[in-house]
Amino acid sequence: MDDYKFLFKVVLVGNAGVGKTCLVRRFTQGLFPPGQGATIGVDFMIKTVEVEGEKVKLQIWDTAGQERFRSITQSYYRSAHALILVYDISCQPTFDCLPDWLREIEEYASSKVLRILVGNKIDRDDREIPTHVGEDFAARHNMYFLETSAKEADNVEKLFMQIAEDLMEQARSKDLPRYDTSTANIDSRTSTIGDSSCCGKLI
Amino acid sequence: MEEKEMSKFVTQQAYIDGKIRALSKMIPQLKIIHKDAESLVTTINHISESSEKISGKIRELDTAREKVEECQKRVSDLIDLELCSQGVQKAIYDEDYEQGAALVHRFLSIDQSVVKQTASDFEKVAGVLKSVRTLQDAASQLREIVKHKFGDAVKTQDLHSIERFFKIFPLIGMHEEGITDFCQYLCTKLEDAAQKNLQTALNTPAGDKRYPVIYADTLTLLYEGVARMVNVHQPLIETYYGPGKLIAAVNILQKECDNQTRRIMSEFCKTRNINKKMTQINEISRMSSSSSFSKLEKIDPKDLDVLIGEMTLMHSKIELYIKFVKSKITTDLDVGISDLDERSKNIDKLEQLIKNSQVSQSKHELLGYYLRMEQYYMEESITKAVNLDTAEQGQHTSSMVDDTFFIIRKCIRRSISSGSLDGICAIINNACRVLESDFCNILRSKLKQGYPSGYLDLTQAYNVLQSSIQQGRLQPGDTEVARTAFVVALNNADSCTYYVDALCDRVMLEIEQAMPTMKENDRGKLESCLSGLSSVTATLKDVIEYGLQQLRASAIKPRVHPWIDSFMSINHEMTEDELSAYDAGETFVQTLIMNLESLLAPFKEVLTPSNYDSLVGVVTNEVITRFEKIVFKTTFNRLGGLVLDKEVRSLAGYLTTSTSWSLRDKFARLTQIATVLNLEKVSEISDYWGDHDGALMWRLTPSELRNVMALRIDFKIEDIRRLKL
Ligand SMILES: Nc1nc2c(ncn2[C@@H]2O[C@H](COP(=O)(O)OP(=O)(O)OP(=O)(O)O)[C@@H](O)[C@H]2O)c(=O)[nH]1
Ligand SMILES: [Mg+2]
Repeated sequence: MDDYKFLFKVVLVGNAGVGKTCLVRRFTQGLFPPGQGATIGVDFMIKTVEVEGEKVKLQIWDTAGQERFRSITQSYYRSAHALILVYDISCQPTFDCLPDWLREIEEYASSKVLRILVGNKIDRDDREIPTHVGEDFAARHNMYFLETSAKEADNVEKLFMQIAEDLMEQARSKDLPRYDTSTANIDSRTSTIGDSSCCGKLI
Repeated sequence: MEEKEMSKFVTQQAYIDGKIRALSKMIPQLKIIHKDAESLVTTINHISESSEKISGKIRELDTAREKVEECQKRVSDLIDLELCSQGVQKAIYDEDYEQGAALVHRFLSIDQSVVKQTASDFEKVAGVLKSVRTLQDAASQLREIVKHKFGDAVKTQDLHSIERFFKIFPLIGMHEEGITDFCQYLCTKLEDAAQKNLQTALNTPAGDKRYPVIYADTLTLLYEGVARMVNVHQPLIETYYGPGKLIAAVNILQKECDNQTRRIMSEFCKTRNINKKMTQINEISRMSSSSSFSKLEKIDPKDLDVLIGEMTLMHSKIELYIKFVKSKITTDLDVGISDLDERSKNIDKLEQLIKNSQVSQSKHELLGYYLRMEQYYMEESITKAVNLDTAEQGQHTSSMVDDTFFIIRKCIRRSISSGSLDGICAIINNACRVLESDFCNILRSKLKQGYPSGYLDLTQAYNVLQSSIQQGRLQPGDTEVARTAFVVALNNADSCTYYVDALCDRVMLEIEQAMPTMKENDRGKLESCLSGLSSVTATLKDVIEYGLQQLRASAIKPRVHPWIDSFMSINHEMTEDELSAYDAGETFVQTLIMNLESLLAPFKEVLTPSNYDSLVGVVTNEVITRFEKIVFKTTFNRLGGLVLDKEVRSLAGYLTTSTSWSLRDKFARLTQIATVLNLEKVSEISDYWGDHDGALMWRLTPSELRNVMALRIDFKIEDIRRLKL
């Protein structure tokens, strides 16, 4: 039996080829997959981490960036506790598409979802988006910001651990009983699986 | 003595002399033996030497034999070479290509380097080189002829020759060309058939029974055609070209299959107006999400129903075809390629082949269209169901619940039939969103209207209503309509929780039946999405709770409070006579129970059992909290306490039997208060308080207990204070 206290859903979105799958595999399997093919539909991975001595289960949904999978991927926004929006620092178009992604998040995700902007591939020397430009964008849209390299394992662990810590803090601060005791014990073992209304009540 | 010894010695001497003589006679014999032994050793050495020599000889013999064999093989090769070279020209001349190819095949199977070696070893066999040259020439000649003849055969549709040359290709080392040319020929056949089928499809009149699924039919014909081709030719390819070659064949067939799929898809999109519909749907959802009333022409979900059905069918056909190709080729590779590295390379090739195929592209496109339309269908149909909501008399719930879950089940079922797990998950996610946001919001907003409480008791209202309706005098007034709407909404929320649970169970079962070989990861995906759906019940329970609080505020609290408050107008410092008089009349609790009965009874008929139980719970809470407050505002003597104790007990009895779950626990505090007020004297409390068997599980704190005791006018404050609690 899993014995985790918290379960959070983390969804990665962003243009095709920005490195979402590589980030996830770096974090969950500790490797940089050579010749990673484009994701079809949506992939699903789980990693349990420990935060302040508590087991936290992260359910990571790695969505396909290609347009034709949009109707599949959009359906996962709503139940997300955290959304990671990824662009490629060496590819201007992936940055230019961010407003479109935000619109999509606005439309489908819970308004209280934790949002993180990630500029990936900082190991590359053909950078097109300076760090401060990404930072500004994130600040303007009320998002966390982090630059990573899935290839060199830079900031990847930090990205997901930060999310786990933040979500746990949120979950704890609203750890007041939602219903009276008769229903509360349904949720007591794990705090809210896919329960988006809990998201709605965050903060 | 000495003499005796002496004589003994003398007799012995003769004996000893004899022995010595005998011994000296043996000496020459010993010498001989010694010599013999020495010669034996020499002999043995000789033998061992020669046996070593012999085994060396044997080894030499072996090598020699090998050489002879090799030589024989070379000779036989050379003879064959000679024969081949002699025969091949004749065979070609006679157009006996099988023979020619067999000879070339024999030639090709001879180790060319050895042949050359032989030729240089024996200069005199100059003819060897000539033979080789002849054969090489013949081989390339034959290759050209066969390729050409095959082409001719294809042109003239000479099936016999096509098959004939197809079998010759591998003999003359043209495996790749053979498969390519042959499959290209098969492609032309595929194309012809597919074109015909598509034309038939396009000519199908709209009234035809198959018209609504004609593109699914056409795709089916295409894929069945390819599958048949693969099945028919796989044994041929395996026999003449060897196992493990199927992937090369399918690689070529797939290109034509892709072309035809693209054609069918484009006709499908054109005829079924896919692009226009997609634009319209996207437009509509954009408008409605920005919550402005659109003047857009809406698509009736019913009009999409058939199309959605066709799309899922098409998708499932593509899925089936891809599965077929995968399993066919994988089996062929497993049998044909033993080298694991090589095999996995080929498996990768297969993955790429499928991934990059138009068939996969079309599958994804189709799934995209399908999901978008299914989502629209679900949302619009549910909106319709909500708008057409009707409540039948005598039913707890209204039609929207049944209808909504019917629609959701239909959509999920349809997604299952598409064969795409990602599709199923997306539809479940969408259903979850529709239920949790749209649907629950509708229920909530209905409950938000509140439960109007008129000046009439509900019983009276009902009676008036019943008789008036029966006499045809009165339409149910606004209040009644609003009340019914409220009650129905509350019941709808409750029954939805059962629907959701049943839906989740059923869906899991159906998916497991439809996809018995689900991968572990896919199962995880599915379970996560389903758990999202089942957690909709939590939101529904929130809605119910919200409704009950509405009910409490408008219908329960304002009525229950005055009933309880009347307790204060009764004197609880009674004499025996007063007590008898009180008991003889209608007591407080009798009135209260009657009132509660009149409050609850109408609800019992109109609420679902579970909602009714919850309502009784709410009423009980209200009664108890108020009662406790009022008790603290009253003073008692012993008899007054006795009355209270009796009354609390009968109240608890009444309310507890009103529900299916026990409310006794809720009464614990009030019961204990009554017990305290019913004590004979202060010290009697020690029967109930403390660490012994008769002690109670107290819900009152010591200071609360003292406060309660202080309500008894006959209990002395000092006695109470002195209690050790
Ligand atoms: N240099 C460098 N290359 C990276 C990094 N992360 C990913 N890549 C490369 O970028 C390409 C795309 O990576 P994926 O992880 O497949 O991209 P994705 O965002 O999952 O793409 P979709 O699944 O199509 O949406 C691959 O060739 C990776 O090798 C990185 O940190 N540094
Ligand atoms: Mg990916």
